[in-house]
Amino acid sequence: MHTDARTLPSGSVIEGDLCIVGAGAAGISVALQWLNSPRNVILLEGGGFDEEPAMQDLYRGNIIGHPYYPLQAARLHYFGGTTGHWAGFCATFDPIDFEKRSWVPHSGWPIRREDLDPFYASAQKILELGPYDYDANDWAKRDQDLALLPLDPDIVWTKMWQFSPPTRFGTKYRDAIVNARNVHLYTHANVCEVEANEGLSAVDGLRVRTLDGKEYRVKARYYVLACCTIQNARLLLASNRRANTGLGNGNDLVGRFFMEHFEMPCGEFVLRKPQSTKMKMYLLDYGNTKARGEFSLSPRVQKQYGILNGTASLDPGALGEPVKSTFEFLPPSMLKAIDEWDKGGRHGPIPLIASLPPSALSPPPGPPRIFHVMTRQEQAPNPNSRVTLSSEKDAMGMPRVNLDWQFTELDKRSMRTYYRIFGQEMGRSEVGRVQLRDWLLSDDRTWPSFLSGGWHHMGTTRMANDPKQGVVDANCRVHGLGNLYVAGAAVYPTAGPANPTLTLVALSLRLSDHLRTKLV
Amino acid sequence: MTMDRRRFLQLTAAGMVASITSSSCSPDASKDARALTQPELLEMLGPERVVEIGTKYRAAVPKENTAPALRAAIVESERRRFPLIWSRSTAEQIRDDFDAGRTVVVDGWVLSTTEARQCALYSLAVQRS
Repeated sequence: MHTDARTLPSGSVIEGDLCIVGAGAAGISVALQWLNSPRNVILLEGGGFDEEPAMQDLYRGNIIGHPYYPLQAARLHYFGGTTGHWAGFCATFDPIDFEKRSWVPHSGWPIRREDLDPFYASAQKILELGPYDYDANDWAKRDQDLALLPLDPDIVWTKMWQFSPPTRFGTKYRDAIVNARNVHLYTHANVCEVEANEGLSAVDGLRVRTLDGKEYRVKARYYVLACCTIQNARLLLASNRRANTGLGNGNDLVGRFFMEHFEMPCGEFVLRKPQSTKMKMYLLDYGNTKARGEFSLSPRVQKQYGILNGTASLDPGALGEPVKSTFEFLPPSMLKAIDEWDKGGRHGPIPLIASLPPSALSPPPGPPRIFHVMTRQEQAPNPNSRVTLSSEKDAMGMPRVNLDWQFTELDKRSMRTYYRIFGQEMGRSEVGRVQLRDWLLSDDRTWPSFLSGGWHHMGTTRMANDPKQGVVDANCRVHGLGNLYVAGAAVYPTAGPANPTLTLVALSLRLSDHLRTKLV
Repeated sequence: MTMDRRRFLQLTAAGMVASITSSSCSPDASKDARALTQPELLEMLGPERVVEIGTKYRAAVPKENTAPALRAAIVESERRRFPLIWSRSTAEQIRDDFDAGRTVVVDGWVLSTTEARQCALYSLAVQRS
């Protein structure tokens, strides 16, 4: 069922068993698990079925730390959420990502990789991926052209990625949700406050508003906040009528530990024997490639050098040509141009070519020998990297957010060390040579002005068994509140080396399983 | 037909480095002279980049700013590690460097110390030519 909340009379009260706030990858993944169940599920989406400037403006915020992408462009505020413009890159987190690492302060999840494995397998289907198999050797057996470079896996191993079409949740799952008898989707329904009971032990209801000034309430037995990392924190912090510092924030953790993936062009790689080296395993033909490998340092090496986890991918190119970071590559104007090109029937060349390096437009003949090396690296959990409330309010009367993106010494040192080891291993194995970019050479913690993330917002309501260390417990329940849960990358204690979508869908499925035990 | 700069650098440097290496009278002198005149990096990166790397290496390590000093450093480095082996090829020496983590970063390139010295020798030869 679907109702546009703007058509409801003000003062209405909507009741159900489970209320999911936010219809993006996390919220829809949870909702899909309840289709045709005997439970009444309410799915609240702040936007409609397409992008609306007024809705996007609700996501506008202030950047007060390191420069960051405009927040209203980094996320999409309509049914399907940010899957409306994601690229579909998927990989699992590694076992080491869940472990407590003595060299990474605040690391360690209260769950292990094995706890997520069955849910990863199910998430593959939701994201329209291939088999749940991320072993490079298995992929090499499937296709003889997918040859592995002769690297020592105890130093550098090949981490596999798979590529979603990419699944646009807003179109792929719209009918299933709208036609479900027991799932009621409300669009243009923006939650402005989570109302706790007097004892601050449970949530009593949600206060919901529409842009035209209507207000109503939603009451359910259980609530799941799934409205993205920044918005989840914003909502909890702004729900401060009964708790001065916001709900779930008794230990001043809500909004802290905001994390991104550093996505940066970091170097060049030249093959020693181009004619005899098969590179298909490591190259991406976007739209056609099902899986490819990236280079990751082994857990042993990470421990030995005391560094963070990350991977590096290869793109054919030329030495010395300018290469852009992700934020530079896709400025908001480019995103908009691509969107218009897509909706307009894809006439003419894709606007993206304006951002490509020269060698991509006129590649040299023969198999590629020179590659740009692109890093994706986790950011160390940092309590000073955070989302707070601004004194400025949006059209709903909600405080806007301040994003204070901050780094640690470990972040830069890890990236520099990674490339040194990667270069050594490429030389040792006689595969080729690696060149580090200038900005990576200096032994300091400064970053270039074009430092980029991947629009991957993580942290802010991190998971930990101890309420003093995290906002939610291992089941994603907000500590101290019996019926409030958080879904999405907001619960990640560490960011891992992989893009967040696959893991957040897996975690959402796990949360749904947990809620099934509650809603019997 | 004019000879391009890349080819010119390769030819002149090869001649110069060959004469530098063969002028030594040590038993190691003739060994691997070709490898020193034709470092594998030439084929991978091209002569101009090799010259650039070599020049930067010499600037960073002033005590190795002459051909004899560079050659001595290459030979000595090998002799320290393999005192009982009379001669190992430069290629083997480079492999050993990477294996043992004897690498340097020059102009951003992660190189074995031996091949960085090769680049320095090459850059000297080009300078003389």
